[in-house]
Amino acid sequence: MNLYHKVSAQWLAYLVFYAVLAMVPLVVSDNFLLNQLSTYGVFAMLALSVSLCWGFGGILNLGQGIPFGLGAYGMAMTMQMQSQDESNPMPPFMLNNSLDHLPLFWVPFGNTTVGIVLALVVPTLFCAIFGGLMFRARVSGPFFAIMTLAMLSAWYTLILDIQPYTNGVNGITPPAALKLGELVVDPYSPGAYWLVLGLLIAATVVAKLMTLSRFGLVVQSIRNDAERVRFLGYNVAGYETAIYTVSGLFAAVAGCCWVILTQYVSPAQFDTTFSLSIVIWAGIGGRMSLMGAILGAFLIQGAQSYLGDAFLNTWLLILGGFFILVVRFLPKGLIGLVESALGRISIGSKKGGNGVSAPRLYPQPGE
Amino acid sequence: MAVGSFFTSFDLSAFINALILGISIASIWLIAALGLTIIYGAVGVINMAHGEFIMLGAYSSYMLQSFLGLPFLLCVPASFLIVVAVGLILERGLIRYLYKRPLDTLLATFGVSLVLMQGVRLIFGSDPKYLAVPPIFSSNIQFAFVNISVFRVVVLLVTIAVVVALWALFYRTRFGVQVRAVMQDKEMAASFGVNADRVYMLTFALGAGLAGLAGSLFGVLNIVLPTMGAAYVVQAFLVVVVGGGTLAGSVAAGGATGELQSIFAYFTNDTFARFVLFVMIVVFLRIRPQGLFAPSAKRR
Repeated sequence: MNLYHKVSAQWLAYLVFYAVLAMVPLVVSDNFLLNQLSTYGVFAMLALSVSLCWGFGGILNLGQGIPFGLGAYGMAMTMQMQSQDESNPMPPFMLNNSLDHLPLFWVPFGNTTVGIVLALVVPTLFCAIFGGLMFRARVSGPFFAIMTLAMLSAWYTLILDIQPYTNGVNGITPPAALKLGELVVDPYSPGAYWLVLGLLIAATVVAKLMTLSRFGLVVQSIRNDAERVRFLGYNVAGYETAIYTVSGLFAAVAGCCWVILTQYVSPAQFDTTFSLSIVIWAGIGGRMSLMGAILGAFLIQGAQSYLGDAFLNTWLLILGGFFILVVRFLPKGLIGLVESALGRISIGSKKGGNGVSAPRLYPQPGE
Repeated sequence: MAVGSFFTSFDLSAFINALILGISIASIWLIAALGLTIIYGAVGVINMAHGEFIMLGAYSSYMLQSFLGLPFLLCVPASFLIVVAVGLILERGLIRYLYKRPLDTLLATFGVSLVLMQGVRLIFGSDPKYLAVPPIFSSNIQFAFVNISVFRVVVLLVTIAVVVALWALFYRTRFGVQVRAVMQDKEMAASFGVNADRVYMLTFALGAGLAGLAGSLFGVLNIVLPTMGAAYVVQAFLVVVVGGGTLAGSVAAGGATGELQSIFAYFTNDTFARFVLFVMIVVFLRIRPQGLFAPSAKRR
């Protein structure tokens, strides 16, 4: 049996991977590097969410920027409102856009708890409604991908258009770090890194348990043949909506983390290029594997940061070309190589005989 | 704010102007979508590089005009041919291996679009280029109280001509019969001696060429930039999705969406109108997921 498909070996791989990541702040003392690594964690969470709905559910989602961006805006609004008080109730950009009172939909964000809850609930609700509408109409495959793209573009134009409320193209720049009660989440601290990592681990565990559950099995069979699952009496639209919504919730969490780390949000988060690059991370890493997608995000973003400077002009060219090659020759992504390599090793060996050697064979992100 | 100004001042002549502008918008969206319609309808490929084909068409015209001094009216068909060649190379080198995986064609062509966009940026730089047109095209015509630029009329006429030509190609020629046969059932058509592989190749190239033609026109309407394709591709996709992937569907969908965009824009503004339109399309697809005129053929 191929070690790659052995669930206990997979858990062990996750354990080793995250144990290594958790120890990074003990080694790295450069706070800017730590902040950068934390943002990679956010991107990994996005890749995970896309892997969940695309790799496992077969729903190609080119609009993952919508829940991400909505979550990010919610968090940015919450953090912005933390800097406002009785004497100065409105963010400065509203005054510049000559608003005379705080818009109604900004008011709930004055309370931090309510704000964070809204930042998570609104995008999730959006996914549930949009997904429900589309999947019940049996819009699927490429058509759904196009519709998510259109929806993304719609949000982008809307956020740009209502400049007095969102500061248009400039975006929102909360002046101070997030305060949770007495605790200040300094984006350049190991604390923020561990917060993001903790959420990433939680998301991974939830996603992994979901794919292993009965629910996950049904979702994967919908990917393989939706029509047959429908004939067996399952509510296909319900399952599709559920997996799409969960993936949206993960993206919303990622959006919140992103604003905590960067203290900035702009319509660029709704840009089609950004959403498509999430798909690229998952595609190159391996969409059928949660770990593959996560590693893909680390790999591509790391390469972009470090090779990007050297190949500033040709980076997109290289990325595009590489992506074409992966789609053409490696539909399972780079992790597919690991799968076939392990398959070769495991032939003839006894079940679980070399379980310990598994993690070594997984590529580790270059830190 | 956008919604607040609803129905505040209704001016009939301005409204009629908006309706006529809507026809112009419709023709622009339609000509952008025609190539995509053919490629999706006949070949079943979601071509994310369509916007970059449009961009290539515009740059082809720019190159021919500024380096060879070709008059604009010759640049348009020349751009068509250049992008046909690009489409042929792409189809032979990449797309034909992916016909059995429609979602992967979407991803691969997205990779292609990145490469094309960055390649053009490396060669020509990110600064905007301009296409020169004969002076008569850059004037406006006044008809009663309606005022519209001549070039928009030209685009409308070209769109009509292309639609008629495509209709003739698909319904009045031997090649058209073959395309429609392959669309309905590839295996059955192949067993009757139609070379499906060749039909796919030619249709893909034709669709790409139409994008090039559209691009050389858009280069005049707007500035020529490496990123210009992205502005058209979402609208083009929506026209195809709403139309259901057929020629007639795209004509109807292009007309309806362009006209609605112009009417909403008259009451609010351009960006908000687009938001309303996109939301309406989502609701429309809930009611009619197969689009306006869906082919009765089997779905791939």
